[in-house]
Amino acid sequence: MIEVEGLTKLYDAFVAVEDLSFTVRPGEVLGLVGPNGAGKTTTLRCLSGIIPPTRGQVRIAGHEMSSHPVEAKAALAFFSDEPRLFDYLTVEQHLNFIARVYRVPDWRNRAGSLLDELELTEKRAVLPGELSRGMKQKLAIACGLLHSPQVIFFDEPLTGLDPYGIRRMKTTIQRRAQEGATILISSHLLHLLEELCSHVLILKNGHKIADGTVDEVTRRFSAQQTDVSLEEIFFRATSDPVVPPAPPPNPPIA
Amino acid sequence: MISALFYLQACSGWNRILARVRRLKKPKYLVGLLFGGVYFYFFLFRYGAAGSHSRSRVTVPTFGDLSAYAGAIELLAALVLMMFLLSGWILPHERAALAFSESEAVFLFSAPISRRTLVHFKLLKSQVGILVTTLFMFVISNRFGARGSPWLNIAGWWIILATINLHFLGASFVLTRLLDAGWGNRRRRLAIFGVLAIAAGAILYVARDSLRLPSEAEVSSPRAFANYLQAILGAGPAPWLLYPFRLIIRPYLSREAATFLSALGPALLVLVLHYVWVIRSTVAFEEATLAMAQKRAKLLTAARHGQLGIINPKARRGPFNLNSTGPAPTAFLWKNLIAAGNLFRTRSVVIMLIVLVTVGFSTGMGSMRNGMGAVIGVLVAISFLWSVMLGPLILRYDFRSDLRSMDALKLYPLAGWRVVLGELLAPVLVLSVIQWLLLVFGVIGARLPPGAGSFGFQERLAVACGLALVAPMLNLVSFLIPNATVLLFPTWFQPGQDQTQGIEVTGQRLIFGLGQFAVFLVALVPAGIAAGIVVFILGQLTMPWTIAVPVAAVPAALVLGLEAAAGIALLGRIFEKFDLSSEPPA
Repeated sequence: MIEVEGLTKLYDAFVAVEDLSFTVRPGEVLGLVGPNGAGKTTTLRCLSGIIPPTRGQVRIAGHEMSSHPVEAKAALAFFSDEPRLFDYLTVEQHLNFIARVYRVPDWRNRAGSLLDELELTEKRAVLPGELSRGMKQKLAIACGLLHSPQVIFFDEPLTGLDPYGIRRMKTTIQRRAQEGATILISSHLLHLLEELCSHVLILKNGHKIADGTVDEVTRRFSAQQTDVSLEEIFFRATSDPVVPPAPPPNPPIA
Repeated sequence: MISALFYLQACSGWNRILARVRRLKKPKYLVGLLFGGVYFYFFLFRYGAAGSHSRSRVTVPTFGDLSAYAGAIELLAALVLMMFLLSGWILPHERAALAFSESEAVFLFSAPISRRTLVHFKLLKSQVGILVTTLFMFVISNRFGARGSPWLNIAGWWIILATINLHFLGASFVLTRLLDAGWGNRRRRLAIFGVLAIAAGAILYVARDSLRLPSEAEVSSPRAFANYLQAILGAGPAPWLLYPFRLIIRPYLSREAATFLSALGPALLVLVLHYVWVIRSTVAFEEATLAMAQKRAKLLTAARHGQLGIINPKARRGPFNLNSTGPAPTAFLWKNLIAAGNLFRTRSVVIMLIVLVTVGFSTGMGSMRNGMGAVIGVLVAISFLWSVMLGPLILRYDFRSDLRSMDALKLYPLAGWRVVLGELLAPVLVLSVIQWLLLVFGVIGARLPPGAGSFGFQERLAVACGLALVAPMLNLVSFLIPNATVLLFPTWFQPGQDQTQGIEVTGQRLIFGLGQFAVFLVALVPAGIAAGIVVFILGQLTMPWTIAVPVAAVPAALVLGLEAAAGIALLGRIFEKFDLSSEPPA
């Protein structure tokens, strides 16, 4: 479970996020959306304990991040858009290192099944520098899931993935949610969020514009219309009075 | 088009300056600027800016008045310049490439810009480096006694450096044409050496009457030797052979405006001829430029991770089996020892130990043992001292190599001090093992110089045991400082970004260098007191110093260990609050 109350992050006088509060329960998938500079990544980095918030409280799986960061971090995994890997550790050595840090007793079995699931078994002895972008992302996922986190954060999880990687990532997210994990995804890909998320939170200039289930947020901005897409909702919620018109459909290919 | 490229260069430079000025809002950068400015003034610019009057009040070591050797100096400098320029024809083994960054290469090569314009842009870009080097060379040469107007000196250096730059570029174009014509590196080098050999033979033949070894009187004083050199180099065809190179150097060697102006024309003519040569001989350099830009970016990143010259690391086995249970800092030790490479494996250490023990014993047996032993003693002492001072700067398998992965480190469910301790363990262990090996070598092989008394095996062993006990804790304290620097000034270490330059950064480094030295001394005081008390007590008990010293090292190591623990706890708290995104860009 993720509980956020009054989260504020300032960089000197610049307000990155202000007074943000929301809750995500186990099994729920929250989509965090907003224009560039809305404060999505800052929010994720505060929630995962990478940077300290200026004000406010964050609880991960019942543990207060500011007072019990070790317990809170033990319950979460964070996947950034750019996989952060160690240049000199092989795929298997990454998992070995993570197993010690997170104290995963049966790590070899878990690592084996994760590597199989992510089709990395043949790359066990390979360094990150020899892996493709998608493979690196898979390795980061294997590292993050090794300790079976209760809370998972994704920051632009589909960046740089091929169609196979995208499908695999979607499956991974859905499976973890079905298993009871609490998931928060930040992405500009609204169709992805529409497909995966049970809830949505819209940010703009560091402030919350709306949050709730996808249906609730849709109803709020649909103006009694039916079949309004999340993309349309996003524009209505975040843009100034002049909304860019939807592009005309592509002509059929002769 | 060149105006657009000039705009790019000017805007980039101006924005870089603005960013640095904005960064000065933070006191740590402002203090660094002031400190760096004072340093540069007192150690370099003071001499460059001083006129003849003020120079007389500044006592610096100089080579004295060299005007008496002007002829020999010109010929020697021309010879050095010729050899240097020749290296541009012999050493390169790849196609011509322009020194662009990856971004510049990608943007410029896909833009509608001719090759000639790109070469012009490269020449424009290189002027920044040439001007900085000119200033540096002027300051250095002036500090060591060069005379004459500063402006004439600066102009002279600029002509030399600009000509060298153009010559190397032109040579690389010619070499690329040769490669395209089927002349491989080996064939080309053989041909160049052949031409050089023929030329050298011809010179020796023509000047056979004037060539001779110096007499005893001619090596008795620097002036006599200079006269000999002038006589040798001035005879035969050498002055004519070196003539173009002498033309390039003459403006710098001119000490008066009149001689400078008379030397300027021919030097500029050589420079312009080089320019015309370069501009008229452009070749396909795009692919090689892109490859070089990528290679440089990788090298830069690797260097900032402490891996000088390594672009593609190799997978290595772990130094030991890492179980999933046990202290987390051990995992960082394991990880960073893998990064440290094969040199620091148990097997390598055992091999080095065997070699050092063998060499140490063999040098202690012969008739020269005291002489060799004294050399070993001095070597070990100097190396040990340098290892203590420079080890923390050279071995960077800690936060300095992990800064790029700081987000990952901060995600781990570990208290800050555990991460700090873990990051420190590998470099401390590696440095300590190196120091222990040195001490073993010293115990076995070192002797006092002949006639300087006796320093037996027992005495050497006592000192070595004491140092071996203290060294790891001392190293732990020493490595705290550069790691504190990373956490307090992370932008110094960001890989792949041009953020490590500027007077303010030099000032910060000086502050931290002095800080490191001060902390080092302060840390040693309590440890020294503890050791001194133990030595005093044992002395009162009439215990020999060969036992007292290693015994006293134990409390000294304990005190240093406590200091290190306090430092690690403090750094742990800093790590927990660390926020890379709060650093201003530059």
